[in-house]
Amino acid sequence: MKKLLALILALVMALSLAACGGGGTSADGAGDTSGDTTSDTGDTGDAGDTGDAATGDQSTISLRLWGAEEDQTLLAELVEGFKAQYADYANFDIQIGTESESSAKDTVLTDIEAAADVYAFASDQLTDLVNAGALQAIDENMSQALEAYAGKSLDDIKAANVEASVEAASKDGTMYAFPMGAGNNYFLYYDSSVVSAEQAQSWDGLLEAAAAAGKQVGMTFNSGWYNASFFLGAGFTVGLNADGSTAIDWNGTSATSISGVDVVKGMIGIASNDAFMPIADGDISNQIAAGGLCAVISGTWDASAAQAAFGDGYAATKLPTYTCGDQQVQMGCYSGFKLIGVNAYSQNAGWATLLAEYLTNEQAQIARFGARQLAPTNLVASADETVAADVANAASAAQDAYGAIQNVGGNYWDPTASFGAMIAQGELSADDDAAIQAALDSLVEGVTAPIA
Amino acid sequence: MDKVKSAFRSFGLFFAEFGEAVVKGDLWTKLTLVWMGAGYLGRRQYIKALIMTLFQAAVIYFSCTFAVEYLADFATLGTVQQESVFNVVTMQNEFNDYDNSFLILLGSVISLVVWVGFFFAWIFNVKCVWRIERQAKLGKHVNNFREDLRGYINERFYVTLLTVPVAGVVIFTIVPLIIMIFVAFTNYDQNHMPPSALFDWVGLNNFISLFGGSGLTVSFSYAFVRILIWTLIWSFFATLTCYFGGILLSLLINGKRTMGKKLWRALFMVTVAVPQFVSLLLVRNFFADNGIVNTILNNIGVIGALRDLGVISNTYIPFLSSPGWAHVMILIINIWVGVPYQMLIATGVLMNLPTDQIESASIDGANKWQVFRHITMPYVLNVTGPALVTDFVKNINNFNVIYLLTESVYTTTNQTMANSQAKEVDLLVTWLFRLTQDNYNYKMASVIGIVIFIICAVFTLVCFNRINRKEGEYA
Amino acid sequence: MKRKYVDIAVRHIALILLAAIWLVPILWLVVTSFSAYDGRNTSQFFPAEWSLHQYTNLVLHPDTVANFPAWFKNTLMIACGNCVISSIFVLMVAYAFSCMRFKGRRGLQNLSVIVNLFPGVLSMIAIYFVLRTFGLTNSHFGLLLVYCGSSGLGYLIAKGFFDTVPRGLLEAAKIDGASEARCFFQVVIPLSRPIIVYTVINAFLAPWMDFVFAKMILNAGVSADWTVAIGLYNMLERSLINSYFGQFCAGGVLISIPISILFIIMQKFYVEGVTGGAVKG
Repeated sequence: MKKLLALILALVMALSLAACGGGGTSADGAGDTSGDTTSDTGDTGDAGDTGDAATGDQSTISLRLWGAEEDQTLLAELVEGFKAQYADYANFDIQIGTESESSAKDTVLTDIEAAADVYAFASDQLTDLVNAGALQAIDENMSQALEAYAGKSLDDIKAANVEASVEAASKDGTMYAFPMGAGNNYFLYYDSSVVSAEQAQSWDGLLEAAAAAGKQVGMTFNSGWYNASFFLGAGFTVGLNADGSTAIDWNGTSATSISGVDVVKGMIGIASNDAFMPIADGDISNQIAAGGLCAVISGTWDASAAQAAFGDGYAATKLPTYTCGDQQVQMGCYSGFKLIGVNAYSQNAGWATLLAEYLTNEQAQIARFGARQLAPTNLVASADETVAADVANAASAAQDAYGAIQNVGGNYWDPTASFGAMIAQGELSADDDAAIQAALDSLVEGVTAPIA
Repeated sequence: MDKVKSAFRSFGLFFAEFGEAVVKGDLWTKLTLVWMGAGYLGRRQYIKALIMTLFQAAVIYFSCTFAVEYLADFATLGTVQQESVFNVVTMQNEFNDYDNSFLILLGSVISLVVWVGFFFAWIFNVKCVWRIERQAKLGKHVNNFREDLRGYINERFYVTLLTVPVAGVVIFTIVPLIIMIFVAFTNYDQNHMPPSALFDWVGLNNFISLFGGSGLTVSFSYAFVRILIWTLIWSFFATLTCYFGGILLSLLINGKRTMGKKLWRALFMVTVAVPQFVSLLLVRNFFADNGIVNTILNNIGVIGALRDLGVISNTYIPFLSSPGWAHVMILIINIWVGVPYQMLIATGVLMNLPTDQIESASIDGANKWQVFRHITMPYVLNVTGPALVTDFVKNINNFNVIYLLTESVYTTTNQTMANSQAKEVDLLVTWLFRLTQDNYNYKMASVIGIVIFIICAVFTLVCFNRINRKEGEYA
Repeated sequence: MKRKYVDIAVRHIALILLAAIWLVPILWLVVTSFSAYDGRNTSQFFPAEWSLHQYTNLVLHPDTVANFPAWFKNTLMIACGNCVISSIFVLMVAYAFSCMRFKGRRGLQNLSVIVNLFPGVLSMIAIYFVLRTFGLTNSHFGLLLVYCGSSGLGYLIAKGFFDTVPRGLLEAAKIDGASEARCFFQVVIPLSRPIIVYTVINAFLAPWMDFVFAKMILNAGVSADWTVAIGLYNMLERSLINSYFGQFCAGGVLISIPISILFIIMQKFYVEGVTGGAVKG
């Protein structure tokens, strides 16, 4: 009886041994990243030295690329362009996969070493990705590589893009990704046959117009990404501490001497209006299509839905002002960007970086705008006529003037979502200053809690 | 108690024979202690000797290459932080020889499991050789290799049957479990994520912070208690409602006077056949705040009426988005999902009802309720009681229903809960899942997992002890 | 007599009501799958415009988001593999624990009960890395291994069923000189059709239902590699739900039809299997 057991045990061990490559070190996990990429990539280095066409047989560089569903066709075209441009240096075997920009972080961090070499993500994930060491720093060395092959230095790339986008792609002064698109913020869509351009300037006007027409104005309250707009507009801030925890001052008084309680009262005033519809996070485009709204706060991704719902009345503008105490305060927003980064554990970090750069250059950004209306961050591309003429884009850009870079840690989201839900569900009364202050204090406590 | 005693006794016997072998065995048997094939070689059983030698060699090779490397770092879980420099010439990153805490833990656990397995195999082997020696000395027949093999389809057939499935369970369930139990004693979280960072042993700190010590997050213990209470309430009601719902439905369908029994059964079976993630995600959209049910209720004026009564404060019924409503809805939807399945089981049980008892009771003038209360129910309970216990445990860990119905729909307005990433409708498992998925807080998730285990274990033990006392052995 | 008719009427009305409640969401699934509108229809129960295009899109025009034919093929393969391997494992373990007596039997059974008490989602990450140690992540074979690997633990019901097999039969066979293996294959298995059907159906269904493990293991982002469950789940992502809700419903209907038929045909065996096992006869 022992013998069979023993045999199986031996077999299992043999298997595990084979799989571990006979005493591979714990670090050789990094070697698994892109499967079969062999060490013969060293050849390309020589090519880099001469800076010109390589001679003789070329090595094959395998890269894996993750992009959003709506980007797939475009990526396939761009990758062909990339192969053609660098055909002199190496052959490329590039595999394109689907990973939505909003959830890239979750998949990457599960197993960084198995994640794609190049992946697209939204800028709010940058902090977590950098902290986990999942992003290749684009440092001096990398700048040299970029200059040698793409003919652009890091400074050229920084200069070519909107400053805020470079800031959003950087942490502690080091750039970790290439800006691919702007407009990852939110603004106001409205139906100009119901709401006049002037009414669209303030919440009071919007709600009045909506009530008159028997329609509603929609916004997501139970998400920290949206409800921060009230606080940011009033001059409050959110930031990151050195230890990775989040700093937030919403329970105090802002730089423009507005108290947090007054902001909340303004929010309650909106939420308690019958013409206001609180929309669940993620349900916005569905509600636009349902037709009960005459104005809604959303981003460029809902442009076609809004256009279809509002028809000829389709219009967009920056966010409205809201009543805070006895003054009108312009809502702010987080300026979000879409970025493309390189996996720090990539076997071919250099070529991966070049691919990421290629996928975010001027031509690529213009093409991407054509394919999915993602506003460019590239200054030249932004000046492009079709880009500038787009209604949603113009509104997004106008709102960006009031934007703040989103620099928050993991503990930001649940407490702020909960806080927004409290207001939307009417659990806070505008008359009860103490309760509001307590809720704000609790919010701050949750957000600033040390991570983990 | 007897069980424990007998367990110890058989354990003792196991080693006693080994000791005997070591003391009384001849040279070959003693040699077997260091060379597993020796004993067989001495009895001229070359094939067995070869197999055991190869096995031993494999284990030694494994120990020298794989196990040593990982176990050496087990105490520290690695000390070398990952560093890399980009090399412009090769266009590649150059990494130092860094440690990955998780892989160290994984490798160590695998090694330990293999060694434990080897230890038992080694003792068995010595005993086996000793037995052969005694048999040979007594002049009895010693099995040759072929006869041994034949044993595996006969009196040792269970070895043949169990080896592969048990190996599967060890690799894919037990090893991962041991790893996660170890994780509960480390600081594996977002700040200490391999491969870029290392994590380390922290002793009982995580348990202390869960149970309200001055741990990292004070709100954790608050959320934990709330979620624990809801988890228990949920499993209690979810189990009972489905159980009795199933019996009632089955009585309704299988009654003498019901026509088209098969048709009814098939109709209810459809909900079992639609995969849960489809039906639950669908129902979630069905009852969404701005979903179809609310629209219809609004159109027929129900919402307005409820609003006037002050039952709700919004323009919709928050079926799945506010506490209270969501708790009840989740239980109701669980009935929708679970009752047809219980109905099937109950149908089978009711088929075997002791009809003679019912008939004699009817003759004695018992009415239907009395028959149900005094004959049907006791029978059914007696038969399915143990299943009820396992169902309860399953519901404590019922991930699908809660996760699919509330994920990204339900936002808590309880700030203390939110501060520890929890919601009122979470079960311990869903909380655990989101802690790992969204917050990479593996250490706390592991602690919660251990707590769930302890709750389930205590409950199961108590219940089975009761049942066993009543009717002997189960399982 | 009158009471009897009242009783019949009450029974059937109750059944009709219950069946209606049970089937309304399913009906919504079916009608939405025939809607011309791609998103969620929240204003009326029945679609404003009927169409088959959710089905034609799903089946005939796969894209990077919805590649139903490939998912179906993958899941079917995994399901078939799982249903063979897992069923064999379950039956083997059940026979060993039910019909054989050996040292450590009790211990192993207790261990299996204990292991079953741990929440499965806890060890996901560890299972992933175990699989990675064998280099099997991102492969259907790896996923199959995860499904089969732990299947031995689900032996309880099958064991309960085997316990009801008359011991006399086994003893008679052994007196005739049959080996244990022979008893297993020629005495117990032929008597166990219901529990085999039950085990096979359950094993077959598991890969259609699981999205947690599948999503974690098939993480290369290549949608053609996915299983039906991951694919359909992914369609409800925030950015996709409004273009794919109709197809999600269509997909749900398409996989529910074969499963329903399987269930309805096998109902009798299934009931006997589950009750024979859950009920100690």
